[in-house]
Amino acid sequence: MAFKVTSEILDDVAKLSLVGELDGSSAQIFKEAIEELPTAGLKRLVLLMKDLEYMASAGLRVLIFAKQKMTHVDLYIVGAQEMVLDTIEKTGFHHSVILQDEYVD
Amino acid sequence: MEPLTVDGNLESLSAIAKYVIAAANAAGLDKKATYRLRLAIDEIATNIIVHGYTESDLSGSVKIEAQISSDRLRLILQDSAIPFDPTGKADPECLELPLEERAIGGLGVFLAKDGIDHFEYEFVAGCNRNILTVNLTVNLTVNLTVNLTENLS
Repeated sequence: MAFKVTSEILDDVAKLSLVGELDGSSAQIFKEAIEELPTAGLKRLVLLMKDLEYMASAGLRVLIFAKQKMTHVDLYIVGAQEMVLDTIEKTGFHHSVILQDEYVD
Repeated sequence: MEPLTVDGNLESLSAIAKYVIAAANAAGLDKKATYRLRLAIDEIATNIIVHGYTESDLSGSVKIEAQISSDRLRLILQDSAIPFDPTGKADPECLELPLEERAIGGLGVFLAKDGIDHFEYEFVAGCNRNILTVNLTVNLTVNLTVNLTENLS
């Protein structure tokens, strides 16, 4: 399934919904969405992943990029599917993000 | 299964994934094992395309071939990019480090090796060959022969 990301910014929270499959061919779309976010004034970056069916290391690299671009911003990963979560945990990324089943504003 | 040859660019990852999933289904792998195998092949193929070809200013193709036997599924990725042996690559250090301090690369080969049972590499006739193997569940058939001997006293 093709990868799609939609962004919504409200006050100091940016929410990105990720849909489809995130691999080396689609990671640039995700990176560009992160690059377009305003860094100043942002406190939370919430990644809604319930419709993300697949994520390769290319996706993890964008998470590193996001964290390094916005060091003062809390990164939430919400609703990640089982195997996507498996990848996040076995690579140690769960130590640096806030994992949630559902996001409450 | 017939091998598949694709161009060595990132747009080919989708076709490679479809092939792997078809091979996994034919071999009877469950959903999780299929995901891990697809991820493993995806990571190696991406490295071939990005580091082997594009960043080395080369172009070429990637061939993938599935070999299914009773006890294993082997997937062979073959390319003519610069020689690269992923088996020698050490696992990334410090998986516990915060993201701000992590190196950008190194995770692809780690995920590939983690998702399969055996990883081999060979360089043959100018081609890199990455051989990824998943063991299949062995169905054991036990033949039990009982001999009853009556000793009549």
